Amino acid sequence: MSKNRVSRRQFLSYSLMGVGGFMISGTLMPMLRFAVDPVLQKSGIGDFTPTPQKVDELTDTPVRVDYTIKDRKDAWYESDVSYTAWVYKDGDAIIALSPVCKHLGCTVNWGSEGHPNEFFCPCHAGRYTKNGANVKGTPPIGPLDEYEVMVKDGLLYLGGTKPNTLV
Amino acid sequence: MQRGKGMKFVGDSRIKASHKMPNVPKDYSEHPGKTEAFWPNFLLKEWLIGAVFLIGYLVLTLANPAPLERQADPTDTMYIPVPDWYFLSMYQLLKYEFASGPWNIVGAIIMPGLAIGALMLVPFMDTTKERRPFKRPLPTAFMLLSVAALIYLTWESVANHDWELAERQGAIVEEIEFDMESEGYHIYAESSCIGCHGDSFEGGMGVTLVDTGLTAEEIADIAVNGTENGKMAPGYWSGTDEELKILSEFISELKSD
Amino acid sequence: MLNKIYDWVDERLDITPIWRDIADHEVPEHVNPAHHFSAFIYCFGGLTFFITVIQILSGMFLTMYYTPDIENAWKSVYYLQNEVAFGEIVRGMHHWGASLVIVMMFLHTLRVFFTGSYKKPRELNWIVGVLIFVTMLGLGFTGYLLPWDMKALFATKVGIEIAGSVPFIGEQIKILLAGDSEILGAQTLTRFFAIHVFFLPAALLGLLAAHFVFIRRQGISGPL
Repeated sequence: MSKNRVSRRQFLSYSLMGVGGFMISGTLMPMLRFAVDPVLQKSGIGDFTPTPQKVDELTDTPVRVDYTIKDRKDAWYESDVSYTAWVYKDGDAIIALSPVCKHLGCTVNWGSEGHPNEFFCPCHAGRYTKNGANVKGTPPIGPLDEYEVMVKDGLLYLGGTKPNTLV
Repeated sequence: MQRGKGMKFVGDSRIKASHKMPNVPKDYSEHPGKTEAFWPNFLLKEWLIGAVFLIGYLVLTLANPAPLERQADPTDTMYIPVPDWYFLSMYQLLKYEFASGPWNIVGAIIMPGLAIGALMLVPFMDTTKERRPFKRPLPTAFMLLSVAALIYLTWESVANHDWELAERQGAIVEEIEFDMESEGYHIYAESSCIGCHGDSFEGGMGVTLVDTGLTAEEIADIAVNGTENGKMAPGYWSGTDEELKILSEFISELKSD
Repeated sequence: MLNKIYDWVDERLDITPIWRDIADHEVPEHVNPAHHFSAFIYCFGGLTFFITVIQILSGMFLTMYYTPDIENAWKSVYYLQNEVAFGEIVRGMHHWGASLVIVMMFLHTLRVFFTGSYKKPRELNWIVGVLIFVTMLGLGFTGYLLPWDMKALFATKVGIEIAGSVPFIGEQIKILLAGDSEILGAQTLTRFFAIHVFFLPAALLGLLAAHFVFIRRQGISGPL
């Protein structure tokens, strides 16, 4: 008799492990796939959304532009959602910056108290210059994102965000 | 039928036939010295302490109702977030230069991770038999330093947070009805007022304009000259006097029932 | 009467050994505040458990009114706090309990540390204890979002960004928690609800059971 012969007890143990493994994985697999579904979904890229901002009223000082995306889908929940952009003119080019701080996602403001002529994030005192470049020595790790910009009928249209191209 | 370590069962059932453990607790004389029985002697003392604790807990609860701010509004860009107090130290850590910017990962992941990891591995780093804290100065010193750091960071975070502003920003404001088409609202929306006082006068960086209790003249004065305590700086108003009159009258009439 | 019922059950299920193991053991003098007042430091663990029980109970009752839906979550919390009899107290207990349990657990940890009670043979129980601590922090973090008020939403936003800054898999963790790569909304709330009410409490109960079984196997650490 070979020493490697599987004993009856070993065989049953292995079988037990196998069946047990099947039972666990068969139970958990659908659940895990269910739970991670959002991770595996592709995020759609937004279309351009009209804003109430007239293009010829823009100056070289950033102004706050609020606009609304109609029926944005958050799974089963559809709603109109307001977004904000800081928009100014740089020569002829229109620059629309996202107000989302690149540190931890708080919202930056232009020219708030004590911080004239720069974007300031109140959460961790992050600062950005006018073109969205993060001031060295403050928490943000990168410049503010830019919105895709389009002009139609004299109105400003904003699309998805892209990494800052000005810095 | 004999099973296991000396347990006797009747037939193939699990009912023990003999060696039944008596359900009379041990006599107190069996406890050496001042050692006492967990049930009921010691537990009674623990529950007495628990009862005192519960009273304090309930008094705290009754004296301070759980806070509830206004309903979440993801579009409110003015709100300054603050975590629950036991995360404040970590929140504060992320403000420092060595733990933010390109080093964000240091403050967000590495330092908390190291702290938890080190805490977990304490028994394997401090392997001497000695248990008294003063006889093992290194672990004691490390722990005291860590606790001091936690307290310091939390303190700094609390000291740097504008609690008054936060309370204003989070306050539940009665929604009021007003005419969005009225001239007063148009002037409001086109001025810089709306930036701080909110789309529907709910406040934000500034206070709410509902129920101010001020007369139109007083409001007009504040719009031009700012408030006396300096919270609102002078010079925000840039429209005409006529518009100011309409606007201040409009705002003075904003009342929630 | 009670004794008769006990005997009847004991005859069939032999519960005395279990009872003996749970309740009928000796408590040494050095942990007894009645003998040494300074021994009150040994109460922190028990108080942590007491608050945990209160948290579980008050949480169970809160779900009778609470709705994990972004339209109604805040409204349901507002309602249960302001309209339901004793709602302010039940929510208050859950709210303050969440803080107190962290305080007590912290004190308990310091007690175990400074009395060197984590040393051999109790290393495993220390590790389980640290895991309980982490689970509790997780419960605090996920529970903070549920009322869906301003501070809940924005604190969670920051928390999710922190989770997102984990190298390589940060984005995946972020979506796994929030349910969406950009929106912190309907899916985030239901996920946090599930984690807060089912996943973490299940983990917590398992860890607590281990914690207590270990204590009963090893007994309380001796006097210093």
